[in-house]
Amino acid sequence: MSAYEYNSASLKPPFIREFLELWHYRDLLRLLVTNSIKTRYKRSSLGILWTLLNPLLNTLVLSIAFQQIMRFDVDNYTIYLLVGLLVWTFFAQTTMHSMNTLIWGSNLLKRIYVPRTIFAVSVVGNGLINYLLSLIPLTAIMLFMRQPFTPALLLLPLAILLMAMFTLGISLFMSTLAVFFVDVVDIYGVLLSALFYLTPIIYPVSLIPERFLPLINLNPMTTMINLFRSLIYYGELPSLGITLTAVGLSITALVVGWWAFTKRVDEFAYRL
Amino acid sequence: MIELSNVSVRYRVPQERIPSFKEYVIRWIKGQINYQEFWALRNVNLEIQRGEVFGIIGPNGAGKSTLLKVVSRVLRPTTGNLRVRGRISPLLELGAGFDPELTGRENIYLNGAILGYSQVEIDECFDQIIEFAGLREFIDAPVRTYSSGMYARLGFSVATMKRPEILIVDEILGVGDAEFQTKSFERIQQFRGEGTTILLVSHSLERVKQMCARAIWLDRGEIVAHGAADQVVDQYLQQVTGIERDRLREESQKALTPSNQWGDQKVSLSNIRLFDGDGQEQTIFQTGDTLILQMDYLAREKISSPVFGIAIHRQDGAHITGPNTALAHFEIPSIFGKGRITYKIPFLPVLEGLYQFSVAALNHDDTEMFDYHDRVYPFRVINRGGKIQEPYGMITVAGEWSHQKLD
Repeated sequence: MSAYEYNSASLKPPFIREFLELWHYRDLLRLLVTNSIKTRYKRSSLGILWTLLNPLLNTLVLSIAFQQIMRFDVDNYTIYLLVGLLVWTFFAQTTMHSMNTLIWGSNLLKRIYVPRTIFAVSVVGNGLINYLLSLIPLTAIMLFMRQPFTPALLLLPLAILLMAMFTLGISLFMSTLAVFFVDVVDIYGVLLSALFYLTPIIYPVSLIPERFLPLINLNPMTTMINLFRSLIYYGELPSLGITLTAVGLSITALVVGWWAFTKRVDEFAYRL
Repeated sequence: MIELSNVSVRYRVPQERIPSFKEYVIRWIKGQINYQEFWALRNVNLEIQRGEVFGIIGPNGAGKSTLLKVVSRVLRPTTGNLRVRGRISPLLELGAGFDPELTGRENIYLNGAILGYSQVEIDECFDQIIEFAGLREFIDAPVRTYSSGMYARLGFSVATMKRPEILIVDEILGVGDAEFQTKSFERIQQFRGEGTTILLVSHSLERVKQMCARAIWLDRGEIVAHGAADQVVDQYLQQVTGIERDRLREESQKALTPSNQWGDQKVSLSNIRLFDGDGQEQTIFQTGDTLILQMDYLAREKISSPVFGIAIHRQDGAHITGPNTALAHFEIPSIFGKGRITYKIPFLPVLEGLYQFSVAALNHDDTEMFDYHDRVYPFRVINRGGKIQEPYGMITVAGEWSHQKLD
């Protein structure tokens, strides 16, 4: 097997090498994903039920708060909210978690060779599984509220793919920073909560004053969430503008994140 | 095959800690980041052939583990080049990446995958792994319930499930009980017989001599000596004992202070020296050697029937022995002026370690101390290649074994 031949002087460019290594360690990747889910559900008695219950309860709270009290005028507000919230949760939890995983996983990194990207990729995999599971309560609510299921939903896997690419890219980029600067994790936490309110998740875009609209629309998470809302909430194909922006964002984020990470990857063991 | 050409590893440590991103940006713009450079390895050239057992020795901080990290690809060399052909199994971090919440079975797959084995390979070896680790009954219990011995046994069994082309061994193998240690040592020997290249780091120089054909001696990141293992070990020992000798000599010349000397000085002791059986002045001995202690006295008045004594303490304070002339019924009628006392130990029974002599001169009834030097004169005992190789306990009693069959 060619992986057993190693020459530190004639390595492939890190951008490609890391990808090949990841492929070589695909069994480990699979185990990291399944194990993190296993350990998580071993710990709690309600087990996998929590993944289903959690978004439901969250949505219930927010629905009451914003629809009944704040009087947002949105049809099927619960679905509007849940679609955005699930995408956001996936993004926020995954990026945060992959930074921490790399830092806490440093013990392993300093002692034994494994491809470094495997941590971020496995966290994304983990997030994807959680996201897919949470589609079950979403379906239940849609059935309950008689939301129509349209053929546009067939494009959902593509949207999920774009979202995963985007998230992986940001995760890798932030992880690279976090290796070199301890306080990046904290700064990012603050940024995330600001970004949450700059993204139309709990409120409708129509509520935003005209002059703030560019700010909202520049936010990449707005595009990502709009993509999902088109498919699930409005039940129609997303506009060309949204589609192209989402594709562009995902590819750019992934390429830049992967590039930044792999460019620095040989320094990690020195720094962590 | 492992080949390092001109491998250097540089750590850059920021001179002051720059903890925050903001600080960093500010300083980076001002160009104010100073690094302290530290070369953990410097221009290391090394070629290890297939099937060779190769030793790495050197003091702590010499770069031994950095070298292993380079070979096992954890650290990429700052400059220079590493070539490795063959699958590496590191035995340095047994059980690295075990997840305590998961069962033994799940951890075998996880740890195996971390070591780069595929699911299929682990499937094939699974039974043999738990058999070797002796953990069949516990294999579905979470690893957090394992003892540290079980943990290490499982780690070893996973890391050696297949014969690797290259095995990296750090400090053989305090793994598990005596039986498992024998088993794991046998397995390594078997790999060796089948052509596995072994890279061995050990503090046990005897081990390195026994097992390795060639070795390097690393110090401060550089190769000091490179060649046949026994020669490299001997060179290293020479230097180490040289340094040790100087240090002990220096230490024994340290001034006597009120805290380690007392007595009314009617008789003073001085010029305390240690000799080996050949009459050479010596501070380093082997168990079983002859040791002669010599002390000079100056009696400032006439003392009848004085008593001279010594004591040996181990560095940790354990009192090994305390003979004196009275206990030995060795009569010294009366002294005045200068004289010399010698005490000969024909067979030094203490095992490896650092020891200190005390010397004393007192009156016949043990009521008046003339001079006492408390634990002032150090000597070291080492056992490399000596007659006595006992590692356990404090002393050897030089007993004899015999055996007969009873049917």
